[in-house]
Amino acid sequence: MNAALICLAGQGLFDGYEAGPFYDEMFGFPGRPRSHYARVFGRFNNMAPSQFAERRKLADLSFLLQGITFTVYNDGRGTERLFPFDLVPRILPQSEWAHIERGLTQRVVALNLFLQDLYGNQLILKDRKIPASLIYSCRHFRREMIGLAVPHGIYTHICGIDLVRDSASGEFFVLEDNVRTPIGISYVLENRLVMTRTFPEAFQEQEVLPVNSYPSELSRILRTLSPRGEAEAQIVLLTPGIHNSAYFEHSFLAQQMGIELVEGRDLIVDGVVVYMKTINGLKRVDVIYRRVDDDFLDSLCFRSDSALGVPGLMGAYRAGNVALANTPGTGVADDKAVYAYVPTLIRYYLNEDPILRTVETYLCDRRDHLSHVLAHLPELVVKSVGESGGYGMLMGPSADRSQIEAFRERILAEPRNYIAQPIVPLSQVPSYDAGSERMAGRHVDLRPYCLFDGQRVSIVPGGLTRVALQEGSLVVNSSQGGGSKDTWVLRGEC
Amino acid sequence: MLSRIADSLFWLGRYIERAEDTARILDVTFHTALEQAQQPFGLRWDPILSMAGEAALFRQHYGEPNAHNVFEFLAFDPNNPSSIMQCVTKARENARTIRDRISREMWEDLNGLYFTLGNFNPQEETAAGPHRFCGRVIFGSHRFHGVTDATLPHDEGWQFLRIGSALERAEMTARLVDMQYRSLLEPASGVGPPDSHQWMAVLKSVGAYEAYHRQYHSPIEPERVAEMLILHPLHPRSIRFSMTETQSALRAISNTGPGFYANEAERLTGKVLERLRYDRIDDIFRSGLHGYLNDLIHNFNGIGEAIARAYFYYEVVA
Repeated sequence: MNAALICLAGQGLFDGYEAGPFYDEMFGFPGRPRSHYARVFGRFNNMAPSQFAERRKLADLSFLLQGITFTVYNDGRGTERLFPFDLVPRILPQSEWAHIERGLTQRVVALNLFLQDLYGNQLILKDRKIPASLIYSCRHFRREMIGLAVPHGIYTHICGIDLVRDSASGEFFVLEDNVRTPIGISYVLENRLVMTRTFPEAFQEQEVLPVNSYPSELSRILRTLSPRGEAEAQIVLLTPGIHNSAYFEHSFLAQQMGIELVEGRDLIVDGVVVYMKTINGLKRVDVIYRRVDDDFLDSLCFRSDSALGVPGLMGAYRAGNVALANTPGTGVADDKAVYAYVPTLIRYYLNEDPILRTVETYLCDRRDHLSHVLAHLPELVVKSVGESGGYGMLMGPSADRSQIEAFRERILAEPRNYIAQPIVPLSQVPSYDAGSERMAGRHVDLRPYCLFDGQRVSIVPGGLTRVALQEGSLVVNSSQGGGSKDTWVLRGEC
Repeated sequence: MLSRIADSLFWLGRYIERAEDTARILDVTFHTALEQAQQPFGLRWDPILSMAGEAALFRQHYGEPNAHNVFEFLAFDPNNPSSIMQCVTKARENARTIRDRISREMWEDLNGLYFTLGNFNPQEETAAGPHRFCGRVIFGSHRFHGVTDATLPHDEGWQFLRIGSALERAEMTARLVDMQYRSLLEPASGVGPPDSHQWMAVLKSVGAYEAYHRQYHSPIEPERVAEMLILHPLHPRSIRFSMTETQSALRAISNTGPGFYANEAERLTGKVLERLRYDRIDDIFRSGLHGYLNDLIHNFNGIGEAIARAYFYYEVVA
């Protein structure tokens, strides 16, 4: 396909914008914004690049002052960098969002039923809908959880599901489930705050659905889990501590929910009850929103070398004296090989067809799939099943020969640990390119955040749009130079 | 309130105060140095270094002290754990670990101070003199306290922060008076009378110069200056005032009424405060100012340790 060239008069930010062969979220046709983008396009297009640069500075300063930074240790003294924020919002019309919301709700309910079944009667294994060997070989499957009754039968209260829009079909696909300790909701809330401060006028004349109900909804759900009843529930957020890259989010959420942010060393288990050490002595803890991985949660139960968790915590959990969100063992549901079976799960538990599509997935421990993968490595993306955050990945088309050969060996040595998928040509949103000082198309994904109370799935309108700020890059992870955008769902028909 | 959070608030208060006090002393000492440049014995840098408690460390890195390297050492040096930049950095680290418990305004203000000071160029500032940098630190500390008082609920956490800064201030004032008194006893080169210049500097460094004149209507006399800094009931930087602050905060935390104490920290504070209320400066000088101040400092350390034992690091019997 030829790159379409948009010519606009004057010295605007969109001069020379090329939509290219990808699905452009802003432009349906060259030079013509989609109706839900019309107002925002108008605002930005009428803005002089110098004015825009001024606003960018304002936004960056705001992030810097709030300490929304991550630390890079390559110069010996630790430099703090900003997570890049791009000012052009990602906009979804409400009709499209409603479809996504239905699809996510269906998926979250099914994943939860799956976890309930796996750690309960295991009917799905007995019915041979998913191979038992696949489950038992999953690194995040926790035998310790089998037969354990969890509060209200909910396993994954909080999950983030990564979606991408395929340029070829224009449809949203699920790319990954994150049902352990998904990161990023704080950026959704902070991005919106900074955006309203930096570009107040862009919000005028249209209604952007608010995102700020998340902390109170999460707090409400955590409260319902309290074994001593909701009135006196003592809820805490367990963080690995200040050196964790998500520490900002942990403290942000604790503050927004008005709950105590604790580290493992603040907690103690005595007589299968969890307490925290306060200035007035020990105080009982009822619910732990834990942002510490299963492995590190309890050195008596899981990894014995962990200093981040609380020895004896699982004993208190088994005794029903404390609730954990998410429960240990949910990681089996976001294993990237199990991902291939989610449509099966949805049909099995809900008797419905999946609303959102999944990307075709090759499981390397299946002989027929493996031979296909090995023959097509340069065209595929290969992922390690238990990893997240863009680690342990091979992007076939951009990899060199030696990288591909290295992955071939790793796959052959441990086929269960790898899956492969065709590359999805991600959609793009105009984003500011500092080099040319103009807008350029950059690839995006979308991570909505879902909360589940056992009855209802509530989803913050929009979610986190991550953007690959390097030209041509399809990897949106922050460790790979990714940034983020404010994400809008517009009320009404557009 | 979690013990760890109370501990962090206490140290947040201490580090901010230490940064401010160091800046005050640095600034005034340099101005004194400028005005004394013509005098035969010049200025001695050792007292200010030993006051900061880091004289040995300084010798190890710099050798002979002079205006430039003392400033660099006390303001910027990352190897000096008490340098102003290190204090502000540690204050920020403490704030960061409890940023969910402090107000957003406090965090943004402190974070802004950290970046502002970090943008100062040590070489340039060392050449230009400390006033600009120190002024920014002092103002930054005042602003931090203003923002804190206006935005943080005045609960136990606020009280711990208050104790941290009051205790630090009491100790720094005691060290400051002690330093001046000792240099009074042993004039630099044995020539010339110890003038009122340095005592004036002391008053200025704690922002009490004008207040002194309003109070005493007399020339600067060492006894009166010491009285003002140790025993004044209302001057916010006097030792007595700082200890009254400490006592009132400790009582607010434990809900203890006057005349009683709930723990060792309150007992020691009450004991020290009784002396500060009823001792007279003439008696203090007669029995030895240095010994008196040393004893106070010893007690301040005891109070700090007792607070930690009562609230931060108590034994858990599990």
